[in-house]
Amino acid sequence: MDERLIEAPCGFISIDHNGSIIEVNKTFLEWMGFKQENLVGKHFESLLTTGNKLIFHSYFYPNINLHGHVEELFINLRNQNGESVPYLMNARRFGQNGQEMIDCILVQMKKRIDYELELRTTKKQMEEAYIEKNLAFAKLEQIYLEIEKKQIELMEINSGLVEISNTDKLTGIPNRRFFQEKLEEQIELYLKEQKTFSLLIIDIDHFKKVNDTYGHQIGDIVLAKLANILKTQARPEDIAARFGGEEFVIILPHTGVDEAILMAQRINQEVERAEWKETGCLTVSVGAATFTVKDTEATILKNADQALYASKENGRNCATHFSEL
Amino acid sequence: MNDVMKRNNVKVMGQGEQTIIFAHGFGCDQSMWQYIAPTFAERYRIILFDYTGSGNSDITAYQSEKYSTLQGYMQDVLDIIEEMDLQQILFIGHSISSMIGMLAAIERPDYFDKLIMIGPSPCYLNDTDGYVGGFEQSDINELLALMEMNFAGWASYMAPFAMDQSKDPKLTQELENSFVSTNPRIAREFAEVTFFSDYRASVPSVEVPTLIIQCSNDSIVPIEVGEYLNKHLQNSTLQIIDARGHYPHISQPLETTKIITDYLMN
Repeated sequence: MDERLIEAPCGFISIDHNGSIIEVNKTFLEWMGFKQENLVGKHFESLLTTGNKLIFHSYFYPNINLHGHVEELFINLRNQNGESVPYLMNARRFGQNGQEMIDCILVQMKKRIDYELELRTTKKQMEEAYIEKNLAFAKLEQIYLEIEKKQIELMEINSGLVEISNTDKLTGIPNRRFFQEKLEEQIELYLKEQKTFSLLIIDIDHFKKVNDTYGHQIGDIVLAKLANILKTQARPEDIAARFGGEEFVIILPHTGVDEAILMAQRINQEVERAEWKETGCLTVSVGAATFTVKDTEATILKNADQALYASKENGRNCATHFSEL
Repeated sequence: MNDVMKRNNVKVMGQGEQTIIFAHGFGCDQSMWQYIAPTFAERYRIILFDYTGSGNSDITAYQSEKYSTLQGYMQDVLDIIEEMDLQQILFIGHSISSMIGMLAAIERPDYFDKLIMIGPSPCYLNDTDGYVGGFEQSDINELLALMEMNFAGWASYMAPFAMDQSKDPKLTQELENSFVSTNPRIAREFAEVTFFSDYRASVPSVEVPTLIIQCSNDSIVPIEVGEYLNKHLQNSTLQIIDARGHYPHISQPLETTKIITDYLMN
């Protein structure tokens, strides 16, 4: 072996076709604590642990034979004390005098391997963190979806509750509470934008007699049926509600005196014309009032009530507007 | 099913009435047969191929789940046989491929005439029942860790075959990328399915006559494994080649060829 190669700053091992060591340089022997006779004539395997033997045979051996060279193979070799020393190995097949040899150059990876292992650990940690992040994100998304679903449920429940609290249980139309809210709204609108509106109060004629004659159950049916007629007669923007007992109200937005009177009369007619199987016949009296600058919530109700009273006085089954009084 | 020919990079050569399928082992591809296949091509039709995920196969056809057992690889063999409508097959498998061929021969004994196993092992791990596979779990883990450290090598090892195929630089780049990203994973999964496999229970089911070739000083498979197989196979012959290593068809191609030829002539 060339003097320079013997002392070269890298390990040099030459093996034959079968893997037996032919030559080894001094540098490698010194690094590994071996003597020439420990290695020459031995199989390269004698430097390998089982796992490394597997890499040697399943990767190095077929590769060097099929392609003539192996580059940057990372492999661990056992030194004299049996300790594992990491190496980077390059090998090339070389033919000389009809003999085939495989020359291997080995460079120790002492520091390098620490860096690599560190990198590998970091990479693994990053991969794990990445997976964890994705899992956490998926979980958050799931939670978010659940919250969204709950929110929709809550909103549905809530709107159901609002409807229940605004509805008259017996007749199914809005109750007095709802009516009062809407009345306040109309007044506000009037004050802000001078939008005229009217109010009807409808009272069943001789309702006490209905109850007394046919019983409360029939009375309830009559109330529900009347509510239905009022609801049908009301225009889309009108608000028909049960005010209490046998008294109903309708708010008529954008409606002046004349139109309110016409509406009231139409209700008289429709109620009279309707079929009242339970009682034979039924009529209502209507009082109407149109909101004016002087009015308040209390006065318009009072005015409509006075008009209703007038209708009753006039023989019932008729409509009176407060302005006519 | 024309895809099978492309998927497994099937190559056909030689003349003869009977067909030999050469099946490479773990970490290799069909080029490992270059020292013995040409001799057989004089008298037989030769079929060479790469398992899906190896060599110049269609890497995109690789599915981790399918190839998580040898059954997936066995299907590659059966697909090729059925695609080419082969009969009376002589199957030569190296290392883990011997077991893949064995499973195929159990599944479809009618397809096969003879099995030739080079350095076979039905189980690489030692067992508490006294079975000597040659390896402990920790050895395999060491191999897997080493493979990880040698990832680049594993990827580029298979890459050049594919590179020759394409003159389109964009496609080549794509191929290169796919090798870098998938090959280490596939190699690792192939290593796992290979070294953690245990098909000892299937061995007695083989009806097809089988030749077992083993190196006297096999570095991967202990001699006891060859003896185990010879004992448990129904109709087998064990031939020991006086050599060290696990690749007699590379290290001793002439002797290996002779042993196979003698067996086939009988």
